[in-house]
Amino acid sequence: MTSQQDIPLFEEVVNEFDQRAGELSREESKGLRTARQAAFEKFRALGFPSIKHEDWKYTNINKFLKEEYALEAGKTATPAELLDRATIPGLDCYQIVLVNGVWDGQVIGGPLPKGIEILRVADAVRDSRFASYFEDAKWGNQHFANLNTALFTDGLFINLTGAVTEKPVHIAHLYVGDRNLMLQPRHMWVCKPNSELSIVETVVSQAGELKIWSNSLTDIIINRDARLDHVQIQEASSGLRMVNHTTVHQKKQSLYNNYTFTMPGAELVRNDLQARLEEDHTETHLYGLYLAAGSQLVDNHTLVDHQQPHCYSNELYKGVLLEQSTGVFNGKVYVHQDAQKTNAFQQNNNLVISKKATIDSKPELEIYADDVKCSHGSTVGQFSEEALFYLRARGLGEATAKALLINAFAFDVTEKLKNPAVENHVNQLISYHIPVNHA
Amino acid sequence: MANDNEIIDNIANKEYEFGFVTDIEMDVAPAGLNEDTIRYISAKKNEPEWLLEWRLKGLQSFGKQKLPEWQNFELPAIDFQKISYYAAPKSKKKYDSLDQVDPELLATFEKLGIPLNEQKALAGVAVDVVFDSVSVATTYKEKLKELGIIFCSFGEAVREHPELVKKYVGSVVPHSDNIFAALNAAAFSDGSFVYIPKGVRCPMELSTYFRINTENTGQFERTLIIADEGSYVSYLEGCTAPMRDENQLHAAVVELIALENAEIKYSTVQNWYPGDKDGKGGIYNFVTKRGICKGANSKISWTQVETGSAITWKYPSVILQGDNTTGEFYSVAVTKNKQIADTGTKMYHIGKNSRSRIISKGISAGQGQNSYRGLVQIGSKADDARNFTQCDSLLIGDRCGAHTFPYIESKNNTAMVEHEATTSKIGEDQIFYLNQRGIDSEKAVALIINGYAKEVLNQLPMEFAVEAQKLLSITLEGSVG
Repeated sequence: MTSQQDIPLFEEVVNEFDQRAGELSREESKGLRTARQAAFEKFRALGFPSIKHEDWKYTNINKFLKEEYALEAGKTATPAELLDRATIPGLDCYQIVLVNGVWDGQVIGGPLPKGIEILRVADAVRDSRFASYFEDAKWGNQHFANLNTALFTDGLFINLTGAVTEKPVHIAHLYVGDRNLMLQPRHMWVCKPNSELSIVETVVSQAGELKIWSNSLTDIIINRDARLDHVQIQEASSGLRMVNHTTVHQKKQSLYNNYTFTMPGAELVRNDLQARLEEDHTETHLYGLYLAAGSQLVDNHTLVDHQQPHCYSNELYKGVLLEQSTGVFNGKVYVHQDAQKTNAFQQNNNLVISKKATIDSKPELEIYADDVKCSHGSTVGQFSEEALFYLRARGLGEATAKALLINAFAFDVTEKLKNPAVENHVNQLISYHIPVNHA
Repeated sequence: MANDNEIIDNIANKEYEFGFVTDIEMDVAPAGLNEDTIRYISAKKNEPEWLLEWRLKGLQSFGKQKLPEWQNFELPAIDFQKISYYAAPKSKKKYDSLDQVDPELLATFEKLGIPLNEQKALAGVAVDVVFDSVSVATTYKEKLKELGIIFCSFGEAVREHPELVKKYVGSVVPHSDNIFAALNAAAFSDGSFVYIPKGVRCPMELSTYFRINTENTGQFERTLIIADEGSYVSYLEGCTAPMRDENQLHAAVVELIALENAEIKYSTVQNWYPGDKDGKGGIYNFVTKRGICKGANSKISWTQVETGSAITWKYPSVILQGDNTTGEFYSVAVTKNKQIADTGTKMYHIGKNSRSRIISKGISAGQGQNSYRGLVQIGSKADDARNFTQCDSLLIGDRCGAHTFPYIESKNNTAMVEHEATTSKIGEDQIFYLNQRGIDSEKAVALIINGYAKEVLNQLPMEFAVEAQKLLSITLEGSVG
């Protein structure tokens, strides 16, 4: 086990915090400063995770930690083709572009309608509304969430007060730079009671030698009777290391749908998605599709935390593993003693295409209430010989037949998308990344 | 109609039925674990030098290891120095027939419903009785001898078949495997040894009844079963223990070795004292069980019915080393009051075409906590490996818990792994249906539970299946008739 002393990055972030503490105290509210300090102390004690930690058992980040990163991005021009890649063709939306986690304040396709307010986190830190959400935020032993809380500077603070249903908000995350970077984007989205919104996020990064580590954290609060549709499409280049944490707090009768798509590219993708069902009668759907290729490691950790009765959750994650890629799925469903009448379902299916690919799947159920219906299923397998033969018998080449079967496998997840333009885009990406010769 | 709550209360308040202490003189070693204790045990048993060496290695690795922290329950503090590591009945002479066995001992077994002196009537069962560590009676030995089968106490095997013991002991569960296995390697008292020669099909079920008796005595059995090429053996292990207020640690090790074309079937019914309804005084059952399918086409099957112990913590595993090997795990675990079970299996697929099947049924009542923890690992050379896992949990009462932690690791694209788990309570509609047909709620719950566990109980040898069913009934008494 590498001790934290051997990781220059650890030293660097610790110094950075000490250095910033003085500057920030003038601007930020006291509550926020206290939260930062606590998170920092926690991180300093925890350090970066290693495979000795149960949550990182299959995800070895050691080699990424050995690289050097600057903690602040300088000014770099954004290549137009990058924005092109992040844009979803034919999607009518309000588009917001974040370069290295910083928004320039512009809304493409705007202005924003009444009912939605978007601020930069850099400004919101002085806002008491923003700081109030940190009062009882606790990140426990989550290494990267603590690190982000200690060091974040910017991101999006979204306040949703009404139903915005005519078009989705598209957030394009672009990562560029002239040197290696470690960034801590922080987002806070608050959906007021009865509000409704659809958010589509896309993540792309500059191709080439550049290494960017994005440790982003999104806090989502969905109040009573509010509904949020949340699509994430991760299609970054190999230099990006993504640790992407999303915590969703659901209140009474709220609805949250998450769709996470990970495409080949970024060498390390770790998604921590946590749905905390804090009041009764909520509904939660988590859908995921990961296509991993090259030496990519895609790790999806999900938690559905049933704290109150009469909540429904459903989870479906599918994975296709090509080349020497590794897939990790850890899905935990936790049912507290008070959460009677819980219905919680979870499924994880993996298609291992290549001889050298690896999959580690760990679906977990922890149940402390008795009147519940919970199930999970996990499979690892191959193409069905019969299906392949059927297609071959009808004159399809082997490669084409396999590509078709991969599409069919992915369909269970893509068909859940509600916006046709988004669905079309995802299908295009799948076809693009699974060229016929792959299969 | 007795409502669910009453039934649950009944279950929760049910006291242990088999709690009694047999009064036999014991030869007990002073408490504490150190090199002297190990030498004392070894000397008492007249062991050869190599075994003492091995024990000392075990003691060394015990000293190096820490208690695990990953388990899903709070591990009670165990003072290893307060445990006495050796206890043997004082009258150590061998018996020629059952008549010479201490009548009090026989009475104990009768109370347990094990009619030792009716063995011949219970045809086909040879019992090697381990009464607190040392075998005092072995039956049917002659018949087995004719076939060349060795079925004796571990100590006897060390004396008479040292080459076999030396070759295989610690080959599946090394002395450094985990802290409890290390403790066992250092301080194991006795146990059973089975060797089935090439091509022999053991004609009867081999069985050992373990029973913990002396107060403050941890029991450290070591079982070694070797099935040579083309042989078959079915082995039964069953336990009950007397009522006790002090916690007793049981850290046994079971090693199974199946060579080419051999098959080993290992069945356990475990009903040690679970503690009173506040969870006080029960047995800690921390056992390391592992088998290896060494040769091609071999098969190892674990079946367990776990109803006793304050804490049951074990993962009977199979290493599928040979090609075309098969590993099976069938389990029913019942927890009530404050019992804890953290159990499951590990299947290591190494050989081509290896297959494994896991069926686990957990039943939690009262404040019982039941965890399934399992690992299915497919190595990169295990082409066409296949696994199917099903683990179901049944919840009775709103203060119990059921947890599932399966690990699936696959490094081979031709492997097929399936895992499914469900958790639910007993269907009210099912109980209602049975009520409608004149069956009271208590019997209805019994019926449903027996049906639920049937898939596993069916795997047990006939005599054992009857006992296991009775045990399920007694354990969930109040609900199971």
